[in-house]
Amino acid sequence: MAGAPALQMASYRRALGRLLARLASELEDLVVLDADTLRSTGAIEVYGSAPGRVLNMGISEQDLIGTAAGIALAGLRPVVTGFGAFLMRGWEQIRNTVDRDGLNVKIVATHTGLSPHLDGSSHQVLEDLALMRSLARTAVFSPADDVATVETVEWLVRRYRGPAYVRLGRDNAFRVYGEGGFAFRPGGGEVLVEPGEAVTLLATGPMVGVSLAAAALLRSEGLRVGVVDVYSIKPAPKRLVLEAAERSRLLVTVEEHRTAGGLGDVVSSILAEEGACARQARIGVPPGVYGSSSRDYMSLLKHLGLDPESVARRVRRLAAAL
Amino acid sequence: MVVGDGAPIPLASPDLSSPSLSAVSSLVEAARRRLHILAGRGLGWHLHSSLTALPILAVLYAYWVPRGRVEGVDRQVILSKGHASLGFYTLLEEMGVLEEGSVEELFAKPGSPLQAHPEAGRTPLTIVSNGSLGQALSVSNGLVIGSRLKGRRVEVAVVLGDGELDEGQVWEAAATAAAMRLWEVVAIVDRNRVQHTGETEAIKPKEPLEDRWRSFGWKAVTVGGRVEEIAGALDSRAGDRPTAIIVEAVDA
Repeated sequence: MAGAPALQMASYRRALGRLLARLASELEDLVVLDADTLRSTGAIEVYGSAPGRVLNMGISEQDLIGTAAGIALAGLRPVVTGFGAFLMRGWEQIRNTVDRDGLNVKIVATHTGLSPHLDGSSHQVLEDLALMRSLARTAVFSPADDVATVETVEWLVRRYRGPAYVRLGRDNAFRVYGEGGFAFRPGGGEVLVEPGEAVTLLATGPMVGVSLAAAALLRSEGLRVGVVDVYSIKPAPKRLVLEAAERSRLLVTVEEHRTAGGLGDVVSSILAEEGACARQARIGVPPGVYGSSSRDYMSLLKHLGLDPESVARRVRRLAAAL
Repeated sequence: MVVGDGAPIPLASPDLSSPSLSAVSSLVEAARRRLHILAGRGLGWHLHSSLTALPILAVLYAYWVPRGRVEGVDRQVILSKGHASLGFYTLLEEMGVLEEGSVEELFAKPGSPLQAHPEAGRTPLTIVSNGSLGQALSVSNGLVIGSRLKGRRVEVAVVLGDGELDEGQVWEAAATAAAMRLWEVVAIVDRNRVQHTGETEAIKPKEPLEDRWRSFGWKAVTVGGRVEEIAGALDSRAGDRPTAIIVEAVDA
């Protein structure tokens, strides 16, 4: 068996830091708030372009969210950055203040999923999509790579008034799009490989790159597998999912999140509510399992069955049983 | 009046010119009588908390804010202990912001603008929804920080319960206000010495309360619950640090 094609890595946080620095120099009402992780999230870059509009709130995520809410009330455009795991410490603040009042706060979480590979399970948030997409008014997005990150965050900051959550990793943005090759649309998704007759992978975040590599492996064996980037988690790209369900007998969701509450559930509910007849399988971090420390990211993906070879193996088996 | 359409309540025309403190005292007395009548009719939800919050809210809405308007200062009030809503709503009725009888008719009905905990966009004079304790000091800080960035001076008074001080976020926010020298922020603590299950000092002691605020870099003062004392503490604020005013409840 041929190995999976090498994945070209980029960095979510480097892209984010550069973008925020640029946006802060262009938008006078942009304010970036972080909970003492500015070096890690990239927010520190804003000191270079708008030093008065980047606030280190200290290690206090609940206060971070509440302060951002007040800044939105004052009529400015706050962007909150921080580690996903610890921003969820402010979930109730997000729920009761930001979401309930529909405040214009953008929350950009870095280090989500398995991306803080060395830190281990405490830092590897696997539940944020579930928590955030259950809110009434907050829109939720999960970009595949650095290019998509820039387009997504810039669109939301410039053009969207209201609460939004963007899920980013750390330095694990497997390149999917060329410069200028991604156009963001809320409720959108991107068909990267046309749905196959047997199987289509519906992936989000860094698992889009992994899924492309897995699909290439399977294609080399003669199994045509489609790949769709579901970057808009809420609103979900319903039409794309249903089209994939029309064309493929099996849809496999692939996410660096728990299989419950994340993309797997988004797709399940679309299929069930629309009475679509495709089967669905879920690849992600299974219930009952936490992440782990790992000196490198790819070994951790392998450990949890989320590297291209493991995904391909799983899909091969599922396709054989169709 | 229509209940349930979710629209903001039609307002009576409020007289928000700066009244004298004796007029504020009369408002408090009238609202207090009204609260007891409502309680007698079965609307006594968090009665004690409403009664002790009344003089604080009356001074803020009927004296401090209008006076700011006269002086050209934008002043905002945030009720953090939202369960004192009946006190707040009764006061609004006495001030003429709500039509007479609104509270009895509309309080805590489905879709009503007078929810048990005030909600922004529905409840008059409510800029942010509350009901979850410990969050509004952070919001007050943010409002001041944002206003500063816009080059506007806004002073914010936030009304906290003493039980609410159990929430860690209050102290996160207290540290923020001190670090950024947010002198425009005033935290007013309704020191009624009770929280949901009993006496504050028996459940989780708050004392020495002034020292706690001071140790966080705030100015702190304790006053009695009469309107003159509360107004006096607000008027004598000075310097470049945030102020905590601890209001010892007059036994209602």
